[in-house]
Amino acid sequence: MNDKEKHIISLLPEYLEGALDAAKAEQVKKYLANSEVVSKEHKAYEALLEAFKKEEQLLPSKEFKGKFLAMLENEKKQQTGTIPIAIKQVKRRPNVFSGALRIAAGLALLIGAFAIGHFTANQRFSQELTVVENEAQKAKHIAVISLLENQSASKRIQGVQYIEEFSTPDTTIIDALVDRLLEDEHTNVRLSAMEALSRFRNSERVKRAFIQALKTEKDPSIQIAIIQNLVQMQEKKAIGPMQDLLEQEGTQPFIKEEITNALPKII
Amino acid sequence: MLLTEQTDEVLMALVSKGDLEVLKVLFDRHHLHVFNFLYKMCGDKQLSEDLTQDVFYKVIKYRSTYNNGKFISWLFTIARNGLKTHFSRNHNYHDPLEGLTEQPSENAVGQEEYSQLHRALSLLETSDREVLVLHKLQEIRYPELAEILGSTPGAIKTKVSRALKKLKEIYYQKL
Repeated sequence: MNDKEKHIISLLPEYLEGALDAAKAEQVKKYLANSEVVSKEHKAYEALLEAFKKEEQLLPSKEFKGKFLAMLENEKKQQTGTIPIAIKQVKRRPNVFSGALRIAAGLALLIGAFAIGHFTANQRFSQELTVVENEAQKAKHIAVISLLENQSASKRIQGVQYIEEFSTPDTTIIDALVDRLLEDEHTNVRLSAMEALSRFRNSERVKRAFIQALKTEKDPSIQIAIIQNLVQMQEKKAIGPMQDLLEQEGTQPFIKEEITNALPKII
Repeated sequence: MLLTEQTDEVLMALVSKGDLEVLKVLFDRHHLHVFNFLYKMCGDKQLSEDLTQDVFYKVIKYRSTYNNGKFISWLFTIARNGLKTHFSRNHNYHDPLEGLTEQPSENAVGQEEYSQLHRALSLLETSDREVLVLHKLQEIRYPELAEILGSTPGAIKTKVSRALKKLKEIYYQKL
């Protein structure tokens, strides 16, 4: 093997990656056609690169993803902020050399231009991010509505729990929750819906729903929760239905006691 | 556009703003690459799983320090640092990562069958093995690789080329 062949062989890894410029690539091709030793090395590299392509990715154990999801859920629960890595501030001495002002002005211009470019790029990124955030919110919205309408009671409860992720849910979500409170056959789903709705006590729709539920709800634990919420809301329109409940024979004695205590608190 | 169609950088920006749920998409997209990088570096499946979990845990913990740069560079920098920390903490039991001529660890022996390429890679110096695993197996491009390794794309290209030459010698000697 002569020096030229050695040199060509050293170019082979880049040649196989297509990373050589046209002139060098042409040179390698010439040697590949005419030099047995270069051609042999080329084949050896090709086989090695083929081995990389064929190398199978190892799969982690079956429990692996479950562990990640458990860790993620745990972190979501304790979402209390993140630990910032401290960045040391470097103090720079002012440049006091005479005549340096011009250089400083030039630098300021350069930095200014860079900062404007950087700001514009950041702004574009922020706009893009806002669009994605809105889309993510929409996707969550659809997911919650479909969960609330799911056949399985546990899925419906899961849907109710997801409402916590919305700081200001829209009317379709409130309506879906009200439906669960008034219509759901499972006590736990109705109770969860009531707890979720109690976060939005100021909404007229929610107030009306609670009064309606007081008239129709038969489960004592939910009745008590509704009464307590209506007292906190100071909802005077609830006085009538509460008195009706008080007079009904079927009402549990402890519910009557709760109402008797609650009525004077609604001023 | 669905979340799964978004770039890594947009998704990570959402995570850094506190939407941890989005991390699931990034996990699905990258955990195999991180896991296999670590596996090729240490040869121990269980250790690679633990370290990969730790990488994603650190993504959550340090999410506020993500600076909208290339996510893949940030992720593999965390993976690489995690591996280094592991070996430096356990130097009584393992060789430190730098200069480690990796042999499959005791845990791994008998559990996994290594390919000829894996065995040849394990006989390379750590830094050579690292560039080849990242570039040729995990298909990380030169600019991102340069960010991960704190070098320039040109220097990394030369390093990959030299490492490949060394690997070729070992690969065919061991046939």
